[in-house]
Amino acid sequence: MKIDKKILNEIQDIVGKENATDNEVILESYTYNWCVEFINVMEGKDPIPFWHKPIAVVLPSTTEEVQKFVKLCNKYHLKFKAQSTGLGPWNQPSEDDVIVVDLRRMNKIVKIDPKNMYCVVEPYVTGAQLQAELLKYGLNCHMPGAGPQVSPLASSTSMCGPGFTSSSTGFSGRNVLGTEWVLPTGEILRLGSLSLKENSDWFHGDGPGPSLRGIMRGFIGTKSGLGIFTRVAIKLFPFPCNIKQLEIKNIIPNYDFDIPNYMQFHLISCKNYETLELAFDRIEKEGITFMCFHTSTYGLHTIFSNTQEELMNRAVASPRIKNPLVVLITANTKREFEYKEKVLKTAIEELKVKDVVATGKYIPPNIAYAEALRSALGMHGFLATGAFQSTHGSMDTSRLCRVLMERNLPLKKEYIDKGLIGNDEGKGNWSTSYEHGHFYHIETPTMYDQTKVESVEGFVEYLDRCNKLDLVEHLGIPFFIEGDKMHDWYGPQCSNYHIWLRKIKTKFDPNFVADSGFYISPEKEENKTT
Amino acid sequence: MNNQIKKKLIEICGIENVNDGQEVLEKYSKDQSLVDPIKPLLVVFPENTDQVQDIIKLANQNNISIIPISSPNKYRFHGDTVPKSDNTIIMNLSKMNKILRIDKKNRVIMVEPGVTFGELIDVAGKNGLRLLNPLFPRKSKSVLSSALEREPPIVPRFQWDSSDPLLCTEVIFGTGDYFRTGIAAGPGTIEEQIESGQAQKNPMGPTQFSPYRLIQGAQGCFGVVTWATIKCEYLYDTEKLMFSQSDNFEDFFDFMRYLIKYRTADEVFIVNKVNLAALLGTDISNLSNLKDWILITNFTGMGQFGEDRISYILADINDVINDYNIKLTETLGNIDNSKIFEIIHETCEESWRLKYKGGFQDIFYLTTLDNTVLHYNLVSKMTDLELGVYIQPINQGCGVHCEFDLYYNPADTNEGSIKKSFLEISKKLMDIGAFFNRPYGLWADEMYARVSNETISALRRVKEIFDPNNIMNRGALCFKEE
Amino acid sequence: MPFEDYEDTIKKCLRCSLCKWIPQIQIKSQKYASICPSIDYYNYHTYSGGGKIILALSIYLNRLEPSEDLADIVYKCSTCGGCAISCKYLNKLEPLEIIYELRELLVEKGIGPMPKQKLYAEYAMEKHNPYNEPPEQRMDWVSEDIKISKNAKIAYFVGCTSSYRRKEIAKATAKILNKAGVEFQLLGSDEWCCGSPLLRTGMKKEALELMNHNLDLIESLGIEEVVFSCAGCYSTFKAHYPRYRKYNFKVTHTSELFNRLIDEGKLKLKENLKIKVTYHDPCHLGRDSEPYPEWNGKMVEVMPLISIPVPPKPLRRGTNGTYEPPRNVLKKIPGIDFVEMERIKEYSYCCGAGGGVKAQYPDFALFAAKNRIDEAESTGAESLISACPFCATNLKDAIDDSGSKLKFYDLSELLLKSLEDKEE
Ligand SMILES: Cc1cc2nc3c(=O)[nH]c(=O)nc-3n(C[C@H](O)[C@H](O)[C@H](O)COP(=O)(O)OP(=O)(O)OC[C@H]3O[C@@H](n4cnc5c(N)ncnc54)[C@H](O)[C@@H]3O)c2cc1C
Repeated sequence: MKIDKKILNEIQDIVGKENATDNEVILESYTYNWCVEFINVMEGKDPIPFWHKPIAVVLPSTTEEVQKFVKLCNKYHLKFKAQSTGLGPWNQPSEDDVIVVDLRRMNKIVKIDPKNMYCVVEPYVTGAQLQAELLKYGLNCHMPGAGPQVSPLASSTSMCGPGFTSSSTGFSGRNVLGTEWVLPTGEILRLGSLSLKENSDWFHGDGPGPSLRGIMRGFIGTKSGLGIFTRVAIKLFPFPCNIKQLEIKNIIPNYDFDIPNYMQFHLISCKNYETLELAFDRIEKEGITFMCFHTSTYGLHTIFSNTQEELMNRAVASPRIKNPLVVLITANTKREFEYKEKVLKTAIEELKVKDVVATGKYIPPNIAYAEALRSALGMHGFLATGAFQSTHGSMDTSRLCRVLMERNLPLKKEYIDKGLIGNDEGKGNWSTSYEHGHFYHIETPTMYDQTKVESVEGFVEYLDRCNKLDLVEHLGIPFFIEGDKMHDWYGPQCSNYHIWLRKIKTKFDPNFVADSGFYISPEKEENKTT
Repeated sequence: MNNQIKKKLIEICGIENVNDGQEVLEKYSKDQSLVDPIKPLLVVFPENTDQVQDIIKLANQNNISIIPISSPNKYRFHGDTVPKSDNTIIMNLSKMNKILRIDKKNRVIMVEPGVTFGELIDVAGKNGLRLLNPLFPRKSKSVLSSALEREPPIVPRFQWDSSDPLLCTEVIFGTGDYFRTGIAAGPGTIEEQIESGQAQKNPMGPTQFSPYRLIQGAQGCFGVVTWATIKCEYLYDTEKLMFSQSDNFEDFFDFMRYLIKYRTADEVFIVNKVNLAALLGTDISNLSNLKDWILITNFTGMGQFGEDRISYILADINDVINDYNIKLTETLGNIDNSKIFEIIHETCEESWRLKYKGGFQDIFYLTTLDNTVLHYNLVSKMTDLELGVYIQPINQGCGVHCEFDLYYNPADTNEGSIKKSFLEISKKLMDIGAFFNRPYGLWADEMYARVSNETISALRRVKEIFDPNNIMNRGALCFKEE
Repeated sequence: MPFEDYEDTIKKCLRCSLCKWIPQIQIKSQKYASICPSIDYYNYHTYSGGGKIILALSIYLNRLEPSEDLADIVYKCSTCGGCAISCKYLNKLEPLEIIYELRELLVEKGIGPMPKQKLYAEYAMEKHNPYNEPPEQRMDWVSEDIKISKNAKIAYFVGCTSSYRRKEIAKATAKILNKAGVEFQLLGSDEWCCGSPLLRTGMKKEALELMNHNLDLIESLGIEEVVFSCAGCYSTFKAHYPRYRKYNFKVTHTSELFNRLIDEGKLKLKENLKIKVTYHDPCHLGRDSEPYPEWNGKMVEVMPLISIPVPPKPLRRGTNGTYEPPRNVLKKIPGIDFVEMERIKEYSYCCGAGGGVKAQYPDFALFAAKNRIDEAESTGAESLISACPFCATNLKDAIDDSGSKLKFYDLSELLLKSLEDKEE
């Protein structure tokens, strides 16, 4: 499909000529994303990483431009799909006639308020940029596991939100304060204390009365299916140690870092998942950790390697670490550090587990400390194969994580044995604590080869089996339950939530202009098909 | 009409649970606030979720408004549960008062609406847990509705989201539909979920919306919550109070921010001498040796190294305290610390605010710490009444709950003049940006008049979804009949 | 089929956007976090390194045909290679090589290069310099006070830009060498364009002709070491020529030579200057001067779906660029207070001139240079130093255009100042 030139001109009148295009070459690059090949397979198509081509790409620079553009979409019944930093298939148009709104030009840090521990950002401020500025105030922000190159706004408003530092920085969706949001109707909705006509402020996101954060994102975000978020206030945290800047030494790939005072990794080997569960609960009890997460042994080696060679060396040379729990202790003062280390050491003794760092058997590289501070551990996941995606993804207790890992093991092995997915012995899991053990989430990263048809198809089948497992064994709702088909499958088993979600969509997007491939379509659509 | 409804309600809940005695209706027609009284049709006391659902369905069929309440009437203050139309029944949930589960491992308690702080603080403590309670709650106060109404907990470091401590809920929407919010939605029944290791902790969802945030702060306008899970903390083993006094409460700010930023203090808040007197149940004249403003903070520790935690924190504080220009003391004048522990950890028999002079009106809202100075200067000039002040940091330091309590003796005060002054002060504060996030009674119209049209329109759309016939607490918030 | 060599990796772009930024742990401010002038100026994802990998894959899968629209995008890139450094921090894609491949394809299809680039390529072939200057005037910069030693073992390869446009650099270089007593010869009008501007715009065939001439000439003269003051010529000789033809003389950038001469005591530095300076790493002296590593191994499937190169395949990550010598020179000049910018060494921000951009898209080149000038100013330095005549031109243009008070000097100019007697 092509966009009507007249409409394109109108869009260009709003954002400037150079900031809206239907140039085929540019559109082509917005057709591609990570993981799209398996979505294609789910739709019975070839496993290529290209999906629906947008009819135009728009680069607005202000909320007002976004608003005018969205109103135009209503006028001409055009669909849009917004993206901030744009990593992942959920950024892609799910139909052929969609306009991509690339928010790259909205890149301001609007405000850092150290007194009230929050900042206000636009969509294209990245985690690393934000953190670099926050460091000047001794503050830190939560970042999703995807890494510091992605958008804190997108994660807070529209995506999921686990991160490596979740034990101390929580979950993106729970750190949201005042929010500015262009609804699919083109109205600008402001949440909480920002909703005041005069003297509005960003410090609070709920009310007056009911909190509209309730329709804003839920657990996994609406993925642009309910409008475009243009600015958000995010709750901040203290920077975990006393430095003003990350000072990296040497040249790639031999980067080195002087580990700040009062910072120490601990790698705890747990003989089985039961011990892991106990260790999670025990270690999080006193609230001492900066990071507290579980990954597979293989995952551990990846996090601590910067080259494939290093990875292979670690895999060969390292002691056998079973079901590792990674704990990072940080402190601002010596006393604080000593207290935390003492508490951890005692917990480890109580649990009768081993800390392979304390025993000197495993030494995380210095640079891993810098990457931990910058929340840059996640991208290491691509070091080996180039492709992985998680299955499952619910969040509740450490016991749920354990049960899920145990039940998933034979299923995953089945697909490993068939040679369809990467061999992580069935143990490639990632589970982290939030809010010092108040919640835990579990996802099972799975490696596959996106260049091989059988592997992509195998992954898709495995993903479907995982979704079924969660439904049948009551293991919570996985990350990937989004889009009509998934909601209509899960909803009836989960309080019929899909009916309510669809009503929200219907009320707030009457002309159905927000692409809902990763959300839900309005009621009238449903009526049409049934 | 009335009789038919009554008959049906008796069928649903039993004769002992429906009451339309004149005296009772009179009682429910008003509260301690200054809103105009209207009598309900009757008061019904459901005993389980099914009954709640049936009542709501009935109300839908008969266009009757329902006001759910969870605490005894005597101590309702804010006009939120006073009928706003003639056709109203009060749904009193105090008979649904079971503690459904106490889960120490997962730091969570599941309660019905009628469970009170008086009972639960105690039970939680015995099970090694502690609640995130508001300041010196009334013994008979419902834990569930306190969480549902976003009353500020006094330990900001444990409030990770402004919705804490509310987690999952079971709710009957205004449509009469049954729903469970958060991970409790499913798959599986609660029993099946527990079997698979869950504890109904994750409040978000299901999937792409979080209805618990809609019903929180809604004053019952979207539905009736029949149980909720409440986020708790492990009980501490040791604790240490510290105080500071000043003639000027601004002096505390930087130090408070330091405590909050590094998550060292548990309880941390400011009161003026009037409110300290009210909390202690004493007369202000007995506190003449204290300065006007008091910062109360408490540090806790648990386990083998509990004491060590407190000592490292205090030693660290000692290193920096000179930067903050305040003096910390271990006691407050000659007040016994046990009295202070009581107000931060226990419940009061009777509302401490009410008890102080027999009458009070409280004005509370959210703002940022710095703004409270301006607000106080303004309010103190606007009233001659004894003025209590309470400033409570919330949400790990993003904002504060600010409260001005106007105390009076009802016997020698003209209610009209109180009402006038209450409204004037409230409006003045709203005019300069005070964010009344819980706009009760007389505040609702004033607050929503100051809120953008888009917000109100969005709230109304949500209302149309969950309560299309507008039967839930009709007329409250911005859901007036047009 | 183009891209075959990269088949394994072009299918594996994650669209993670790491290619848009300096390595994440190096980011020290919001303002100076970007590495890619192209995405900074043109904004659409297409303009990033990753965007171009997507285009390459589309062509590879026959979804996209080479076209003028494609060319317009592919040529709006200074081929600075910053994207490739950031990508290879953890991944192993080669966005820079893909950009070169795309340009070669466009040239092959008769679509590339862009008009101005085509013109300078014609000049380079005809007049042996891209500026359309008479070859016989190549030595015009040589003044009487400069001593040239005809049969010296060392040759100074001046490069087209210093020969015709930035003569002050050539002069300063020659004078320093004279002062240090280093005997050198010049290749005169037989010195041909090194081919860099052609190589980087997809005209490999022509570039290799120029290469062959230069290598034949130098080898025929029995020269043992060639010295370059131009970063572009230097990287072309050092990193690119050996991919097509091996040679056996030594190549040295003046910054390396100066550093050595100072250490050997052959240059006597005086405290003539009292200034705060900062240093801009030219891409060609920095990350792009790293030779292409050779690898003759094969991919071995160590477990199902996981293949690794055996022996490990070294990646060209900018590790071995020339970073320290110019810094060392600066640090050794008495009276100079040297401060770093945020983006340095392998993740330095490009001035925006390279890859044919200055000629074809001057507005874009100026934008990037102004960005860099802003960063230089933010250090509090009074002078900006670099070591590439092409960067010099573009950065000076940006200083003029933005009204900046910064002074620009080539390393050789600054060094010369500290060698001269004050009144000189
Ligand atoms: C190695 C790796 C690890 C990962 N780990 C995690 C993890 O730990 N936690 C996690 O949550 N995710 C994780 N992911 C998934 C990934 O986080 C998301 O891809 C990432 O957050 C992408 O986000 P982005 O910030 O680039 O936002 P975008 O990709 O720009 O946006 C994300 C979604 O939000 C929508 N959106 C973006 N901006 C707006 C806006 N302004 N208004 C409305 N809608 C908008 C988009 O349409 C899209 O659907 C991981 C991915 C990788 C590759």
